[in-house]
Amino acid sequence: MRRVGVWLFSAVLMFVLSGCSGGGASTSAPAEQTPAAQQPQPAAEEAKKDPVELVMYSWRPEDKEAYEGFIAEFQKMHPHVKVNFRSFKSTEYNTILTNSLTAGSGVDILQLRPYAGAASIADAGYLLPIDDVPGVADIPQSYLDAARGEDGKVYGVPLFINSAVIFYNKQLFQDHGLQTPTTWEEFLQVCEALSQKGIIPVAQAGKAAYLLSYTHNVIGTSAFGGEEYVEKLLSGEVNFTDPAFKESIKRMSDLVPYFPKDFIAIDDKDAQALFYTGKAAMYINGSHRLETFENLNADLPLDIMPALAKEKGGETPMINWVDGSYGIAKATKHPEEAKAFIQFLASKEFGQMFSDQLNRLSAIPGVVPQHPMLKKMTELSEKSMTSYMMLVHFSEGTPTTKTTFENSLQGMYIGQLAVDKVAEDTQASLEKWFQPKK
Amino acid sequence: MAVLQKETEPKLKVPKQKRINWKKQLVHLFLLPALVLFIWFQLYPILSAFLNSFYSFQGMRRGEFVGLDNFVLLFTESPFKETFSRAFGHNLIFFVGTIIFKMAVAFLLALLINSKIRGKEFFKTVIFLPKLLSVIVVGFLFSLILNPTYGALNTILQFIGLEEWARPWLGDPDTALYTIILVNSWYGLGFSMLIFLAGLQAIPQEIYDAAKMDGASGLTMLLKITIPLAMPAIMVMSILTFIGAFETFELIFAMQGSQAGPYYSTDVLATYFYRLAFGSVDGGESIGLGSALAVVLFLMISSATAVLLFFFKKKEFEQ
Repeated sequence: MRRVGVWLFSAVLMFVLSGCSGGGASTSAPAEQTPAAQQPQPAAEEAKKDPVELVMYSWRPEDKEAYEGFIAEFQKMHPHVKVNFRSFKSTEYNTILTNSLTAGSGVDILQLRPYAGAASIADAGYLLPIDDVPGVADIPQSYLDAARGEDGKVYGVPLFINSAVIFYNKQLFQDHGLQTPTTWEEFLQVCEALSQKGIIPVAQAGKAAYLLSYTHNVIGTSAFGGEEYVEKLLSGEVNFTDPAFKESIKRMSDLVPYFPKDFIAIDDKDAQALFYTGKAAMYINGSHRLETFENLNADLPLDIMPALAKEKGGETPMINWVDGSYGIAKATKHPEEAKAFIQFLASKEFGQMFSDQLNRLSAIPGVVPQHPMLKKMTELSEKSMTSYMMLVHFSEGTPTTKTTFENSLQGMYIGQLAVDKVAEDTQASLEKWFQPKK
Repeated sequence: MAVLQKETEPKLKVPKQKRINWKKQLVHLFLLPALVLFIWFQLYPILSAFLNSFYSFQGMRRGEFVGLDNFVLLFTESPFKETFSRAFGHNLIFFVGTIIFKMAVAFLLALLINSKIRGKEFFKTVIFLPKLLSVIVVGFLFSLILNPTYGALNTILQFIGLEEWARPWLGDPDTALYTIILVNSWYGLGFSMLIFLAGLQAIPQEIYDAAKMDGASGLTMLLKITIPLAMPAIMVMSILTFIGAFETFELIFAMQGSQAGPYYSTDVLATYFYRLAFGSVDGGESIGLGSALAVVLFLMISSATAVLLFFFKKKEFEQ
């Protein structure tokens, strides 16, 4: 009798276990399988469809509230589609995304790192091409390049244009009778003048090495030249050990007296705090920080400067790049709804909302920025523009050439690498994977 | 002969106790849930890492079978070989540092608490408390304390007139790794102390009484009685410290990020693995190389642990 009892208990246990696993499957099953009788029957045609939930991944937790508003707008047109916006810390995003994509579940719409980042996911076959989605073809080709696979197809709708700029405190500049610098020499003079007054000239953080890269772009581009020099690098005519590029690294070294004390140990948030509390006069980062400062201190007398010119009166280029795009996971169970959402992201309506609410330059044509500083960035970009060289062209390899360069700059700041060695290590990294254009 | 055979026949039958007792065998079924979890979460990742280490990867796409090429690359090509040897060196420093700062201090504290002092339960609880926190929380808190701009440590040093001691603890390559070792030791002190305390409390008081009657001093009793008899606990802690030092990741990741800066001065094999397998914000991952490093790490830890266990077992027998 006891034996029968044990058998019965085992049978029940097995049943429960199989029930558990079955439960998991049923929750992830497509909504189409849900009996129609259990679904609400709204009047609108769209709402008659079975409810669908799309999971959307982003590395911008700070944008969550704005996205809830955007999604609400999308749902007015597609009431049966629920979009679940899930955001992760930027530094952990790639790991989480890799795990989700390889597991083949969990994400429908995903934010893609620009250029090589998007291409590696697309080439691995984890994304759906979106060339046929209405609106995508209207976006400038150079922006679409940020999410193109090696097959030439587009896998992401570009989100916004970021620009490496120098934010500066207008009040501090006025109080000390300083003009905004346009050349390297003027920049050094302004830094020296601020330093003499006990103000930190540049709120630079160095704990995360990638932050050094923004500064190198803004300060160094005039040392080696803009797009023309990039073309020479891409064709193999020059390389990173070229004197002009070394000069740009030397400039980074020359700025040490004008960075905060122990800047290599402070993170970006500390640097931002130095700037918005008025202890530092300038802060170099992407234009996406405009929204950060407006949230932190709306009264901050803020303005921006573009990259430096080669000589007085010369062009001051905006260093621009597409910062992320949104693509569709190939494993999505709802490709039609996902494409509808991508179509929404590629629309002018979304671009305008995005630009107005998050203070960023939209990549969607026809969007007119409302924020005066965004307008200024657009005007400056129309005058002169160059690409974020390391990100757009040299973010391949293991580790990427961009990462090698940034970490080598960090090595220079802690006294372990000389200027020449930074250039040599960067070139050595490039030679591992790069083939010059013929 | 036939009679004899007939007589011996019952003895050749299968002994009664060898019959399968289904009721007892049924017990094994209860291992099934744990076995499924073990296979899914332990065995499968290990086996897939072994498999991936023999393939090339372009980004996330698995390419062709490359045999041992990933392993060869790890140990012969720049910058992989330099990064490996630097990270391995840091793991060794981490191990030695943890032995000194955590095990030695924990043993002294266990001796103190095992003696006749007042409030031993209070001290035991206080010393164990950090272990109740998450490593990530500990990392975050210490990042704030050690912040060079507004951190509590430098502020206190300046306040008491020791401003020349104030420094960017995590930004100086000479102090960053040792600072993390100290934080890690503080975090794990309570657990080590409890293990040692359990070992010390298992030593019979009569041995000490007899030694005292023979005129043994405190130091003699420590060297001749306490340490030899607490050796099983010391062995356990040594092995756990070794494994912990070579697997260390969370605290460094929480305090210095995956780049283990400044300029790799806190880089260990696990952070190096993380960068190889998952890349940085800008990509640069190589799952094949990362898997090869994971396999090397696995083989290193398991073989060294086996040697340590063998050595300690031998010591135990000798005693």
